[in-house]
Amino acid sequence: MYGTQSKRDLALEFQSQIPILRPSIHARRANLTVKFQDLYGFTVEGNVDDVNVLNEVREKVRQQGRVWWALEASKGANWYLQPSISEGQSLKASLKLSAMANAITLKRLIRKGIPPVLRPKVWFSLSGAAKKKSTVPESYYNDLSKAVEGKVTPATRQIDHDLPRTFPGHPWLDTPEGHAALRRVLVGYSFRDSDVGYCQGLNYVAALLLLVMKTEEDAFWMLAVLLENVLVNDCYTTNLSGCHVEQRVFKDLLAKKMASHLEALDFDVSLVATEWFLCLFSKSLPSETTLRVWDVLFYEGAKVLFHVALAIFMMKEEQLLLTHHVGDVINIVQRTSHHLFDPDELLTVAFDKIGSMTTNTISKQRKKQEPAVMAELDQRFRRLNSIKVDDK
Amino acid sequence: MATTGNKNINAKLVLLGDVGAGKSSLVLRFVKGQFIEFQESTIGAAFFSQTLAVNDATVKFEIWDTAGQERYHSLAPMYYRGAAAAIIVYDITNQASFERAKKWVQELQAQGNPNMVMALAGNKADLPDARKVAAEEAQAYAQENGLFFMETSAKTAANVNDVFYEIAKRLPRVQPAQNPSGMVLMDRPAERVASASCCS
Ligand SMILES: Nc1nc2c(ncn2[C@@H]2O[C@H](COP(=O)(O)OP(=O)(O)OP(=O)(O)O)[C@@H](O)[C@H]2O)c(=O)[nH]1
Ligand SMILES: [Mg+2]
Repeated sequence: MYGTQSKRDLALEFQSQIPILRPSIHARRANLTVKFQDLYGFTVEGNVDDVNVLNEVREKVRQQGRVWWALEASKGANWYLQPSISEGQSLKASLKLSAMANAITLKRLIRKGIPPVLRPKVWFSLSGAAKKKSTVPESYYNDLSKAVEGKVTPATRQIDHDLPRTFPGHPWLDTPEGHAALRRVLVGYSFRDSDVGYCQGLNYVAALLLLVMKTEEDAFWMLAVLLENVLVNDCYTTNLSGCHVEQRVFKDLLAKKMASHLEALDFDVSLVATEWFLCLFSKSLPSETTLRVWDVLFYEGAKVLFHVALAIFMMKEEQLLLTHHVGDVINIVQRTSHHLFDPDELLTVAFDKIGSMTTNTISKQRKKQEPAVMAELDQRFRRLNSIKVDDK
Repeated sequence: MATTGNKNINAKLVLLGDVGAGKSSLVLRFVKGQFIEFQESTIGAAFFSQTLAVNDATVKFEIWDTAGQERYHSLAPMYYRGAAAAIIVYDITNQASFERAKKWVQELQAQGNPNMVMALAGNKADLPDARKVAAEEAQAYAQENGLFFMETSAKTAANVNDVFYEIAKRLPRVQPAQNPSGMVLMDRPAERVASASCCS
């Protein structure tokens, strides 16, 4: 998709650039001075402080790259694939042990960041996308794309409407070629799962997937594994019930930390967190920070979203406790997320300060919230229907 | 809700309407004086604030710009709950968006705040050749339903500030006596009392 350059060349070239942020985020900064393009092609304007932070981030990405290369050299190129490859097979004890050791190394390593050049490969295998793809004929994606070509549905109409509105101004996404690729991924998926069809928000997610994965087909499978395996069910279907569930779980988690003050302000955290959970932070965090979150998301699962969302609030706890107004809370939270140029600053809080949460605990919380969500949605549905009846 | 303190009024305002009707564009025009040909689609909702001086008062609008896609409507109550004002936006070149606007009016009437100031904005008025909704029809509908109506263009800025000014002027002024604590003014405690009958 970026012409004839090989993936590796391209990624190496990327690595030598300064990682930067998206314009929508940056436009809000007060004193804009410098303009540059980031790792993933987003235009960013920033002041001197930002440039310094970004230079440090660039250096850290390089160092992290060296760590990964060294491991590949000592353990073999696909060492991190071992845990999933060995799945279900009976292994010799020593091998199992080394697999376990690798798994621990890997988890730590991933939280420190996957080098952009390795992201496509590592994401594809560790997320389960490779496995998903392997269960269908090789030609699945091409067949699907051909079969749906020229079909018009409410989903395709909405997709067409949103293509130019997805990261407008991006040097590749906002070109006919970029629009066409994004369209095929989204339209293809809308036919694969007609319950989801197309939900606004997926355009941003799929667009970033395209930029990372570099091929349309891999981006498609990443989107599939994300919606079908990584995230909670029904996050994007008709009434976003899965998303409502996540918001309630998040509210409870935050309440345990600090929400009593926020509640006193009548601040509903989902006012800001809904977009985070639906766009997986792609509209709120700088691009490299977003992708660092996704690194962990694809390996550890949807609980990561709670870690990160909590972290954003916790980082500004002191300031938030001094607020007297809902608008101030929102401004603080949004300003914070938009300026999280250093991914480690966020992820350290998200994983070291928040404490551990298991996927199991989160699942239980979800189960607990589901009935209330369903009742609420049902109640609203009936209320609206009764309006229509009264009307006649 | 609107609260006053030395004629400073905080007012929560929500924009509702069909996908692509121009809600975000109207807000951007009002808050930043800009227009972007390709405005990013809104997910969930976006928050803005803007202050207006009207007569002898200062109104600080806390603006919630919501997402238009149908499935996002289940989130709407969270945004219109406690709102002092709403702008319901449709696209004059799109009949379906006008029908959608009427549904929003019904929903707000049924479960919003009865004192909510409601405006109907027929946006994209700069595209008269593509017009599908007659101004007279919308005007009549607005009148019947107690809304005020304006045709706007986020692109040319026509009537955009006017909608917000008109809303500001119509806000009921909540009396300071309702906030007896004398502390920093929050919109909450007083509001609870004032709007006990509202909301979903
Ligand atoms: N000609 C014209 N185009 C407009 C006007 N207002 C908005 N648009 C265009 O209409 C499209 C949609 O505008 P948005 O402001 O994003 O619409 P929205 O209602 O916020 O849409 P959602 O966030 O998806 O619900 C954009 O491409 C705008 O440039 C207007 O007054 N005139
Ligand atoms: Mg919008």
